[in-house]
Amino acid sequence: MRSLTQYRGTVRLAAVAAAGALLVAGCAPGGSADAGPEPSKPATTGVGSEPVTLKLLVTSGVDVPFFTALGKLFHAKYGNVTVKVESQDYAALTTNIAHILAGSNVPDLVRVPQFGNLIKDHLLTNLDPYAKAYGWDKWPQSQFATTRVGPDGKQRGTGSLYGAGPGFGLTGIYYNKTLAQRIGMTRPPATVAEFEQLLAKAKDAGMQPIMINGKDGGSVYPLQNLVMSYADDAQAVQDWTYAKPGARIDDPATVKAATTLQRWGHAGYLPADVNDIDQTRAPAAFVKGTGVFFPSGNWQAPGLDKAGAGRFGFFLFPPGEAGGPSYAMTASSSLAIPAKSTNAGAAAAFLDFVQTDPQARQDTVTLGGLVPAGPSDAPAPTAPAGSAVAATVSAFQALLKSNGLVGFMADATASIHVNSLVPQTQLLLAGKTSPEAYAAKVQSDYERDLGR
Amino acid sequence: MPTISSPPELRQASPMTDPTSTSAATQPAGPHRYARRARHWSALLWVAPAFATYAAFVLFPMFQSVQYSFYHWDGIGPATPAGLDNWKAIFTQPELLHSVAHAFVLIIFYTVLPVGLGLVAASLIRELRPGPFNTTARVMLFIPQVLPLVAAGIAWTWMYSSDGLVNQVLRAIGLDQHTRAWLGDFTFALPAVGVIGVWVMLGFCTVLLLAGIGKIDPSLYEAARIDGAGRISEFLAVTLPGLRRELVVCTTFTMIAALASFDIIQISTQGGPGYQTMVPGVQIYRLTFLQQHVGQASALAVFLAALVLVVIWPIQRLGREK
Repeated sequence: MRSLTQYRGTVRLAAVAAAGALLVAGCAPGGSADAGPEPSKPATTGVGSEPVTLKLLVTSGVDVPFFTALGKLFHAKYGNVTVKVESQDYAALTTNIAHILAGSNVPDLVRVPQFGNLIKDHLLTNLDPYAKAYGWDKWPQSQFATTRVGPDGKQRGTGSLYGAGPGFGLTGIYYNKTLAQRIGMTRPPATVAEFEQLLAKAKDAGMQPIMINGKDGGSVYPLQNLVMSYADDAQAVQDWTYAKPGARIDDPATVKAATTLQRWGHAGYLPADVNDIDQTRAPAAFVKGTGVFFPSGNWQAPGLDKAGAGRFGFFLFPPGEAGGPSYAMTASSSLAIPAKSTNAGAAAAFLDFVQTDPQARQDTVTLGGLVPAGPSDAPAPTAPAGSAVAATVSAFQALLKSNGLVGFMADATASIHVNSLVPQTQLLLAGKTSPEAYAAKVQSDYERDLGR
Repeated sequence: MPTISSPPELRQASPMTDPTSTSAATQPAGPHRYARRARHWSALLWVAPAFATYAAFVLFPMFQSVQYSFYHWDGIGPATPAGLDNWKAIFTQPELLHSVAHAFVLIIFYTVLPVGLGLVAASLIRELRPGPFNTTARVMLFIPQVLPLVAAGIAWTWMYSSDGLVNQVLRAIGLDQHTRAWLGDFTFALPAVGVIGVWVMLGFCTVLLLAGIGKIDPSLYEAARIDGAGRISEFLAVTLPGLRRELVVCTTFTMIAALASFDIIQISTQGGPGYQTMVPGVQIYRLTFLQQHVGQASALAVFLAALVLVVIWPIQRLGREK
């Protein structure tokens, strides 16, 4: 029997030759050097009269029936356009999006979880010409901040528009009306201190004051809110979230916020197993009556109303001092037009339609659980009085006017959420890191992610 | 490394199936030297299709990974040379190094416990008469291998939660003070994930060892018994030496699974709480797909592959010694 080892010489030679070939060729992986920003195609409004199939790629779950409904409405208005909705789950889409957009079979509109390097690699269409053509530039501009990306491809909140969508997420605090009444809450707390008094009352009454998902980052929401309330201003956090050069988060407000959150954990205001509760378990437990308060976002509102119409209320996170500004985190459910899309015109028309059509805006609230923005004089969609949805819609309208909408710290870099904010907040709540070390670590990870 | 792809059994069996040796056997005539050389070339010809596939889908990507590890690259745009930056990061970023340490802790759960328990289970099952109980025992042990790991991970997450099965059992037997959210606990999260690994790997080891025991000459057991050997000495003198090759395969396979673990962690803890259960597999995934640091991910992947080779190499040597 002759084993391959007898050809060891040949194999070794082949290996050396292959390695040598790679080195000699010196072929760096990846595309060619920067070709500069893609030329903006001339923007036209309308969808023409040719038959068009508009392919949408969204995340699985509520997005599918929601965008299917929007597609039907669009088709009813423009008979020559058929909207086809495809989906991938959030993690898969995050994983694959760059390769889908660089491939040969690109959708015409895609739900973008993270911009990442998509702008730098010229995979998305600059929407500025369409914004001008459709008059989006005359609308309240804070709604477009999260989807603007600067020329370096990193800084957000400034530069050109790369995404637009039917509606927005919004964070705040849900409360169980029955339990809140029992601890004597007659109106939403006016300050953080007042909120803490309510938490203490709930604890004394033997209730779980706060229900929250610490396993996958729900605990980062109150932290960010506390930072903004203590700073009495959101500019620093906003700059940090949008990766503005020189932005820092390791400031006194963050340390104070981390100290407060840690104290809430020690005082038993947060569930004992907070680090093991995920985003499926937290709302389920809250609906069952565990937790007077549930800090989360408006995407939970339709589910809460379904579980018990009128049982759950919503208020914005209280300011640091009475009468101070309220802030909430927001993210656009943004759709982007891939650079390789062949139906960019029709895709832009769809984006304009979902932001302006009254029925589409209504569906955004009822089916998508999101708040539409659009022009300042657009009719506000309706929701049953006393419902959680109605409360989120009116809170959003107020913040849009007061400029109180801020991006999520979790979106500052592609991995800051999973690699830093979530594990560090878990360490903080377990008492395994100090508020100072927390702020410093998040800042240093942030700088490393951005290559600063 | 070639030893992984050609276990000893195969090498022994190959004279029967090796096409070159049979063709040589039917060719008694001809000058000796010429025949030898012809055999050389025909052997290469036979190997060529498989080697071409192997080269295209295994060797080339391996070379690429090594090459990527010396670049900053996001997977799409142009790449810039990085020198040794990506390699330095592995040893200077505590998170990356800790994740490697966790992988070694997992070896206890993925390898030591399953192989040990598998030996016990296989010896016990061997003594059972073939019948429904025997079959049931085998099926029960092997089921984890059949289930998708993702489904298993979710089921275990439920069992470990604060009101899950594990804590219910503890409460039922009066151990209330020991209940906790296992996967959210800084001390117990890694062992808890490890136990899932034991559950998955045990069936694989048992079935393989059982097959190995079946190949041991029954007369050896008979002789041992005549010599007055008890169960323990029979196990040490007959079963254990007879299972040397199977043990090597078990150990190798489970160690690779421990060092390269990904799915169970990604499903059950995502590396948390804190960084307690972070492993290189999850880091590589995040670096590649979330952060789009293909270069850094490649460096860690190549490092992990080298580590696997270093760890399993002595085991392979041990298995080959006579």
